[in-house]
Amino acid sequence: MREVTFLEAIRLAIWEEMERDPNVFIIGEDIGRMGGAFGVTEGFLARFGPDRVVDAPISETAIVAVCVGAAAVGKRGIAEMQFIDFISYAFDQVVNVAGTYLYRSGGKVPIPIVVRGPSGGYVGGSLYHSQQFEAWFFHTPGVKVVQPAFPDDAYGLMKASIRDNNPVVFYEHKYLYRRIKGPIPEAHEDYIVKLGEARIRRYGDDITVITYGAMVHFALEAAQRLEREGISLEVIDLRTLKPLDMDTIAESLQKTSRVLIVHEAPKTGGIGAEISARISEHYFEWLDAPIMRVAAKDAFVPFAEPLEKFVLPSVDEIVFAARELAAY
Amino acid sequence: MSTTTLLRDGQQVSAYHEQLTKQDLLEIYRRLWFARLFDEALYDAKKKGRLRRGNVYGSRGQEAIMVGTTYPLHEDDFVSPIHRDMPVFVFRGMRLEEVMCQIWGKAEAPTRGKDSWSHMGDISKGIIHSTSMLGSTIAVACGVLWAQRLDGRRDRVLVAYTGEGATATGPFHEGLNFAAVHKLPLIVVVENNQYAYSTPVELEVPTKTVAERALGYGIPGYSIDGNDVLEVYDTMCAALEHARAGNGPVLIECVTYRLQGHADHDETRARQYRPVEEIELWEQRDPIPRFRNYLLNTGQFTEAELPEPPRDLVEQIQRAIEYAINSPDPEPHTALEDIYDESAGVSRCVK
Repeated sequence: MREVTFLEAIRLAIWEEMERDPNVFIIGEDIGRMGGAFGVTEGFLARFGPDRVVDAPISETAIVAVCVGAAAVGKRGIAEMQFIDFISYAFDQVVNVAGTYLYRSGGKVPIPIVVRGPSGGYVGGSLYHSQQFEAWFFHTPGVKVVQPAFPDDAYGLMKASIRDNNPVVFYEHKYLYRRIKGPIPEAHEDYIVKLGEARIRRYGDDITVITYGAMVHFALEAAQRLEREGISLEVIDLRTLKPLDMDTIAESLQKTSRVLIVHEAPKTGGIGAEISARISEHYFEWLDAPIMRVAAKDAFVPFAEPLEKFVLPSVDEIVFAARELAAY
Repeated sequence: MSTTTLLRDGQQVSAYHEQLTKQDLLEIYRRLWFARLFDEALYDAKKKGRLRRGNVYGSRGQEAIMVGTTYPLHEDDFVSPIHRDMPVFVFRGMRLEEVMCQIWGKAEAPTRGKDSWSHMGDISKGIIHSTSMLGSTIAVACGVLWAQRLDGRRDRVLVAYTGEGATATGPFHEGLNFAAVHKLPLIVVVENNQYAYSTPVELEVPTKTVAERALGYGIPGYSIDGNDVLEVYDTMCAALEHARAGNGPVLIECVTYRLQGHADHDETRARQYRPVEEIELWEQRDPIPRFRNYLLNTGQFTEAELPEPPRDLVEQIQRAIEYAINSPDPEPHTALEDIYDESAGVSRCVK
């Protein structure tokens, strides 16, 4: 095992996949000479050369499109969005070009690409460097959506995403990049975390907390605090948002009968709404209380600290919601 | 070093066509007719109710572009045709029956009935799929060419077709910019038929020619007579030499005219939102009689050698239409197939 940061886990996963498969290449802004705005591709240019580590112009559409076109003829491109917010520029490529390609080629042309980049708030990034718009792609057929919370998952999920034959949008929470450390397997172990499988990060009996990304850490902190009050949280880290692992959710719900969904993205039309709807449709009789959600307010992520704190979810909010749910 | 050359009317590139044999010229003539007959047969099928679904996007008058740009290509070059280039799919090796099945939405279609008309391709034949957002494919083309670079095949050219309207989109710019920065062998053929649906070119492009856009990328831009198949051929040959030599992309604006509506549903309005005299003027610039007269005037051909139209092509197209009409429809449940490819085995099987 290697003890690494969240960022280093992602870096190693990409590096090792590029070592393993000459068809894998990476393209993005400032990723070559500079090694990436956050340093995910540090050392890549020297090792893999400018054809496989491509310093692109500021052209998110072209960055994703190059991966799509190359994928159509057998390559595996990784597109770095310097901030995942900028994926809005490449929306057509992800949704209408990459997402549909397999379908409109009669199943003949898979598009194995990973569009990845730093997401999320809590760092004063303001409107365009803080977003979590994973729901856009959650809503899109043909696309998978991944967001890990721990180094081992980031490592195994990135490898799986690169090897997957479908377009994957991979959210890397920038708050976790250097704050979170953990063990990851050695390179020779060829460790993969299959897409579409959630992981229970803490076992508990009273409430199922369904979450992902940075909120997993918030939920775990809330669980610790509530333990002292005798409220036991089971924390499910979804890891992959699409496809969604409803089996793990159902299994936990059967035990707890109470569900709290937590996400950093705005509440309206978020992933939580879909999970809630599916639970209501299929597992209504198992519930002892209404499904609750803690999410960002339906606003943008503002700059000033009191504003950002007000909009984004907090550990306190999770604690309060869980108390309310436990008391119902 | 920038090698920008902006060639305008009357300033021709070398006469590559002088190397064409009599057999080549006859084949070009037949291809022009094939394209014309394809268009006529589809309009006829739509009118008679034999094609009940989807639009027919006419290409009448634009035949010289698809024939002249494809004729000099190598077998392993790439193309990404758009909606007025249907015959290009056939010129590049797809079976006519497949193309008709696509138009009729049949199970045997390249898209299995999932998508319509020109939104198809065949990677094994170097035909890259486009979408309705025409500019998008210019950017995708860069990726196809990047893959060739990774494989050490810098000589394989991709010809990306687009319309003058799509040159106003972001991906057109990002794609050409990227291709120019990295000197990718991309040839963008702009079919300037002067209307993007109802919007005239002067409301899409601020410059006198679309070719002038090439200046912004430091690449050659040609504005040529898109109704002269030999001029198109010659320009394409020059562009191919440029691209294969590693000098980067080329922009070719083929000036032509959309004689029909945007699609078959638009025939009435298309004669209202533009002057009828303009349409009549361009009818007289029909590329087929023009090429035929040229062939007759050179003295190499007799009238009898150049039938109008070649009957066998009419029959060939009709047979393919009958084939498509009699071909099975897709099963409804297949609508949920081909959304994800799980053959790589790195995902949990999802219901």
